[in-house]
Amino acid sequence: MTDLDLNLLLAAVVVSPACQFLLFSAAWLMGWEPSEKILTRSSGVMFSLSLLAVGYLSVSMIIDGKTQMLVSVGEWFHSGEYKFPLALLADRLSLPLLALTVLLSGLIASFSRRYLHRDRGFFRFFLLLHLFAFGASLVFTAASFDLMLGGWELVGISSVLLIGFFNERKAPVSNALRVFGFYRIADLGLLLGIFFLHHVLGSTATANIFLGVWPNQVSELGFSSATAAGLLFLLAASGKSAQFPFCSWLPRAMEGPTPSSAIFYGAISVHMGAYLLLRAQPILAVSPVAAGATVVVGLVTAFLGTLSHRVSADAKTSLAYASMTQLGLIFVEIGLGFSWLALIHILGHALVRTLQFLRAPSMLHDYHRMHSAAAGHLAKTGKHYDLFVPAGVQLWLYRMGLERGFIDVMIDRFIVGPTIRLAHFLAMFEPKRNSVVAVTAEVREEMVEGIDA
Amino acid sequence: MLSLTIAAPLLAMFFYFRRSANTFSSTRWPAIAAAFFSLVCATVTAWVTLTSGQAWSEGLLELDALACVPLVLFAALVLISILAAPKVDQNPRFMASLMAVSAGTLAAYAASDLRLFCVGWALTLIPAFLGPSSEMMGARVIGVVSLGCLLLASFVGLGWPAFVLLATAALLRKGIFPFHFWAPSAFEKGSPVVWSLFLNGHLAALLLARFGLKLFPELSKEALGLISAFALLTAIYAALLAMVEKSTPRLIALLSLSQASFILAGFESRNAEGISGATLHWIVVALATTGMTVAYRLVEARSPKAANPIGFLGLGGRMPRLAAFFLVSALALVGLPGTLGFVAEDLLFHGAIESHPLLGLALPLATALNAITILRLFFRLFLGQPAVSLPQVPDAKPIERLALSACVVALLLGGLFPQVLINMRQPAADAVAAMLALASPE
Repeated sequence: MTDLDLNLLLAAVVVSPACQFLLFSAAWLMGWEPSEKILTRSSGVMFSLSLLAVGYLSVSMIIDGKTQMLVSVGEWFHSGEYKFPLALLADRLSLPLLALTVLLSGLIASFSRRYLHRDRGFFRFFLLLHLFAFGASLVFTAASFDLMLGGWELVGISSVLLIGFFNERKAPVSNALRVFGFYRIADLGLLLGIFFLHHVLGSTATANIFLGVWPNQVSELGFSSATAAGLLFLLAASGKSAQFPFCSWLPRAMEGPTPSSAIFYGAISVHMGAYLLLRAQPILAVSPVAAGATVVVGLVTAFLGTLSHRVSADAKTSLAYASMTQLGLIFVEIGLGFSWLALIHILGHALVRTLQFLRAPSMLHDYHRMHSAAAGHLAKTGKHYDLFVPAGVQLWLYRMGLERGFIDVMIDRFIVGPTIRLAHFLAMFEPKRNSVVAVTAEVREEMVEGIDA
Repeated sequence: MLSLTIAAPLLAMFFYFRRSANTFSSTRWPAIAAAFFSLVCATVTAWVTLTSGQAWSEGLLELDALACVPLVLFAALVLISILAAPKVDQNPRFMASLMAVSAGTLAAYAASDLRLFCVGWALTLIPAFLGPSSEMMGARVIGVVSLGCLLLASFVGLGWPAFVLLATAALLRKGIFPFHFWAPSAFEKGSPVVWSLFLNGHLAALLLARFGLKLFPELSKEALGLISAFALLTAIYAALLAMVEKSTPRLIALLSLSQASFILAGFESRNAEGISGATLHWIVVALATTGMTVAYRLVEARSPKAANPIGFLGLGGRMPRLAAFFLVSALALVGLPGTLGFVAEDLLFHGAIESHPLLGLALPLATALNAITILRLFFRLFLGQPAVSLPQVPDAKPIERLALSACVVALLLGGLFPQVLINMRQPAADAVAAMLALASPE
């Protein structure tokens, strides 16, 4: 295959989930709903072919001794001096993650065929899975931070809509809204970081702003610029990877169906923050402040995550906190400059965690079988930490774990609460409305329910 | 041809005035015919203007680069609004209001002088006078005062009082803080579709760009900073108000005001990408808020509880396609990737941060707040357990699907191939940039 063919192959892998998404959406909007068989077969074929294509790409690059492949389609749009390049990049960082995305998306599609069989939201789930697969592939292969932002936001919206998948209950919907709030605020970091890079360097294309090939890239940014950009990217990465102070959204996201929890919060979506920082590694290398902040954020999250994990009562929440802990450690590795270690950690963690999430629904059954086989309960484990921590401190740590590090409380008290109070205060000055809802017994009941919820 | 674009809806308006207010049967065909004819004429005129690069003149009427694309867009939005009007809206009052806003806005787009612009401006105010006075007091006061300001400005010459009057009229109409109050109550008490179109004409931005900058270059230079500061304040203020608003039409009005105020802020950036972004954002706001409002109105016609949702209504289970149209339009308004909103905001924010860091920080923040509000509204309307009392209502009918698809497809195609639209809007952006350069000290 020529270079042109390889370029087309990479572009096809990225774009094919988007094509399926658009095709099925348009058909549905016009009144046709594809059957489960058509959906699963087309997804299966697409993800299998994509996986083969990524494998072929990787092998070709290894045989040819290439360390990266840049596919430039030209400019998406331009105005004045501002240009938005449309280019994809396959290198030693993006290819493994692209392969992981395609592999796990196909696996989840296959798993969901039975798991969600005859569910009302079967079609919706597959649509959102395709949108997610496109967004994630775009994030991992974008050759500029501008393009990455597009994929980043698509992943965010598909993630939120899947959290609210079982929308007959109030809790998933409320939690989805809360997660979206966290996402949007954290995404401001990526947006502002991109603007800042444009302002300082005139571009966000990695080929233009970094010299060399990952992981040996260097940046020409000065210390203060690198610190500003690094901290903004850290904000965005913390939001996506559920790191301090955005760590309280991850357990809330467990309201979605288990296959989506597995791929989003066990495997792909949560690791995007880490990927962003790995991609921006040359910037962190210039600024010890930004790198140090990454280490601190990772350590704090790992500590809070492990505490909460140990006191969680249900399997999925427990796994979510365990994920958060590992991600904290990955952030520490990135902050310390161990890029290869972080990448291997991401791949290993994603695979193990996906398996754990997918096994979570049948885990209780397994426990019961093990208890039956052992003719009683298994011996308790995990008591060895008790030897090192005084009893009084243990109580405090237990309380802290139960309250999830008091982070939700603090966010509500110092950010959400004051913002809502300010909005209510401003609304007091608005002209009085005519449309007063008649407070019937039914409405009053709904209002009380709403307040309780 | 340009005069026919305006005459068709004007004639239809008079036709509806003569019909009894209680007639409900087969009333929309004259409006559909007028809107379609107007759209065809507008497309031809705009095409010739764009390809020839010269303004189209017909007596007092003149179509320049600035209003070329908005003319076609607005004619299309009127047709979409009529096609997707639920049965409850297919009455002479609604149709007359739509035709009045259409004729007035198109006339203002084609007005070569300020007095003709005033006539168009006045025509668009007719919907405020078609309902009971108690319901539309805010819109009436704002409309009359702004019209008075414009008329006075057209008679007092080229001094600073004329500019102050002109700017006041623009601020009143655009609902810039502290004159934003009329829009939420007009959306709530009147027809949200009509008032959404009224806002989406963006006549205030056109007034400032075409007459303010052209006739008063130096004064505009002084005032544009102040005006855009108020626009910025409106973006944040309306976004905050929307966060705690419970009434759906009021919330949609606040979102529209917040996002539409970005246009003025974009002009203030005074660089190519900022102005280009502002002219694109004009299109995005018009398409997205129309799609969103029309979808909401269809939902409200099926389930009146949607106007003041308490808890989660779960309407998505019964109307999944309307939910999808609403969501895509609403998210395009706040820059969903893949739609034109993403491109417009990318350009706008880049332009803004290059010239004013405060602008560059405040606009993304307002967008983030609006995005959260939009999703909250979507969840409240469409997610949740449907009430047992909700009857079996139909999802979007074929004609409604067609009309709403036009909005969504335009937003998606614009997002996938934005350069076509950027090139189309380039003459407009160049015209504004040239006027701003004329006004700048350099």
